[in-house]
Amino acid sequence: MKRWTSTVAVAAALTLGLAACSDPTADGPADTTVSWPDPTGRLDGVALTIWAAQNSNTVPQKVIEGFRAATGATVEVVTIPDPYEQGIQTKVATGDKPDLAFWQPTASMLTAINAKGNLQPLTDAPWLPSMAPQLRDITGLLDGTRYAALVTSPAVEGVYYNREVFAAHGVTAPPRNFDEMVALARQLKAKGVTPFYEMGADRWATQWWVQVQLADAAKSGLWERINTGQEKFTDPTVLGAIRKYRALIDEGLFNADIRTATFDDQGTALLDGKAAMVVQVNSFFGQLQAKADTATLDKKIGFFPISPSGNVGTFIPDQSNALVAFATGDTKREAAARQLLAYWMGPGYQDFLADRNTVSLQTAVPDPAGVPQALRDVHAALPASVGSMQAQAVANPDLFLNLADMIAGTTTPEQVAKATQDQFTQLAKAAGAPGF
Amino acid sequence: MWFLVPAFAILLVFFVLPTLFNFVYAFTDWSGFKSEINPVGFDNFVDLASSGTLFSALRITVVYAALVAVFQNVFGFALAVLLERDTRLNRVARVFFLIPVLMSALAVGYLFQALLKPDGSVNQLISAVARQPFDHGWLADNTWTIVVVALIHSWKWMGLSMLIYLAGLKTIPEDVMEAARIDGASRWRTFWAVRSPLLAPAVTFNVATALLGSMNGFDIVQATTGGGPARTTEILNIFIYRTFGQGLFAQATTMSLVLFLLVALMAFPVIHLLRKREEIL
Repeated sequence: MKRWTSTVAVAAALTLGLAACSDPTADGPADTTVSWPDPTGRLDGVALTIWAAQNSNTVPQKVIEGFRAATGATVEVVTIPDPYEQGIQTKVATGDKPDLAFWQPTASMLTAINAKGNLQPLTDAPWLPSMAPQLRDITGLLDGTRYAALVTSPAVEGVYYNREVFAAHGVTAPPRNFDEMVALARQLKAKGVTPFYEMGADRWATQWWVQVQLADAAKSGLWERINTGQEKFTDPTVLGAIRKYRALIDEGLFNADIRTATFDDQGTALLDGKAAMVVQVNSFFGQLQAKADTATLDKKIGFFPISPSGNVGTFIPDQSNALVAFATGDTKREAAARQLLAYWMGPGYQDFLADRNTVSLQTAVPDPAGVPQALRDVHAALPASVGSMQAQAVANPDLFLNLADMIAGTTTPEQVAKATQDQFTQLAKAAGAPGF
Repeated sequence: MWFLVPAFAILLVFFVLPTLFNFVYAFTDWSGFKSEINPVGFDNFVDLASSGTLFSALRITVVYAALVAVFQNVFGFALAVLLERDTRLNRVARVFFLIPVLMSALAVGYLFQALLKPDGSVNQLISAVARQPFDHGWLADNTWTIVVVALIHSWKWMGLSMLIYLAGLKTIPEDVMEAARIDGASRWRTFWAVRSPLLAPAVTFNVATALLGSMNGFDIVQATTGGGPARTTEILNIFIYRTFGQGLFAQATTMSLVLFLLVALMAFPVIHLLRKREEIL
């Protein structure tokens, strides 16, 4: 009898545990009609939480101050340690959700967080009519539903160059396409300048070199073909770009310490004129801003987009550019979260831009004075630029990691392409993409 | 009897259930991408086996564990023998060697990462002594970095091994030692023929904990190299962490199941073997 009771007790405990451990994100919002509260309506006693990364946790400061003054709501920013996306996915998988979070607004990353199950749709957001038309739908959408609010100009992959180095070697205008850039690099190398600087140790920027070479292919539907399995990373287009990158490294056009150089080294090298060019995204410029003031940056640093056919940029919105609102199940807090976004992109937008000293996304709101020229150039490249792998592919494989392995000398371009394709297939399959 | 309930409840929730789920979720398509969880049979195992990354991570994990087991025990044993006598200096030294054990593993990792950078203190010291520039990337070598990281891991935990070996040395009965002396055994002979065999239980414990601790290692490797350069230090837990972070929860669970089985498969024979040595006692 005693044994029988204890067996039942153990079985009951296990069942209870099993039930408690099932996926907490199972039920999501089904309906996509959204009401938008008045941005400055009173919210006394409401406390919201925003998850932010180490490089975005100061972004909302000014907005939060203004929002509190206008509505009485308090907003707490919680910093999630890097790697940020992994941390958030893990937390959300276990049922922990904030009201809002910084999140890369691309389709692949919205899929990765299961937007349909976890996020509030931001349909008919009140700020959309005032957004610059060419930027309104550039990102933040998944299967036609808007899930992310773009707050700052999305990052563009392109070339940051040292104006003084160019001038000292008689280069008056930036190269007009990829081949011209390589030709210029060879000239500079002949004169003893390090043409390109890459950060092999911190790894993540290695992929920009491959992606800018794919800009024209992306325009003609490369990622749609890869998304449906009609083309692969191992086919000539992507593999060719990887091979070219490898060939340029082998030719000695990069810094000699490419394997051990870090993100920080890269910034210092370009600013000091130890290297002429760096293929990077906006966060690189953010780093330069931390190292030098606007006047110095305007004097020293320039930007041009690049692709095989011309000066076409590749855009890649990142986590610091956008926010998502979570479906927490608490309708009052959900509405307050939407209200904060409406305030951010409405009455609070001018102050936000002035505080961040960054480019405006809205036609009626002017850029604050003192935005560095390079940032304006990056923003100007945006309307003509094409989507990156992150923006257009259904899954986001670790291309950068595989390329870093190649730079370290352990893999060939063919192995990089294969490893990337294998992982892409695995992720696409998990995401339920048709054809995988 | 009932006083055991809280302990068992905690064990159930934080150990038994997760382990059971490890077995359940490994056979599903659980991911961060969608809400449903469907059974998929052995798909995850087949995918993993065919990709090759799993085997490379497993190989690196076993190499790392073996290196740590050797280094940690050699250092720990040497320290125990050196600091065996109860002088005041030795007591202070023991405390100092025990401090790293108490330190956060991540802190240790970041500390060494900073020391071993190409422009870090270690290279600066070498340059100053050798009077010529020295900028070796200690954590950038595709072959030797795993040894460096294993040394760091062993440095952190050698104090614990030392403590256990010291305890072992202290429990050797004085009459056995006296008998050896009367029989005219040299100190060297006494050490190898009498004291070392009597340390067998300490060896069992130290080797097993070092091996298992490093197979489940993550923090020190993550803080020093993050699995690099070129994934030559990507032990299984780093691989699992990376996979989980991509939202591939089922695949990550499958890997941790593989790790669980590997640890079990290695632990039982090793412990059995070491136990056998103790039977002479």
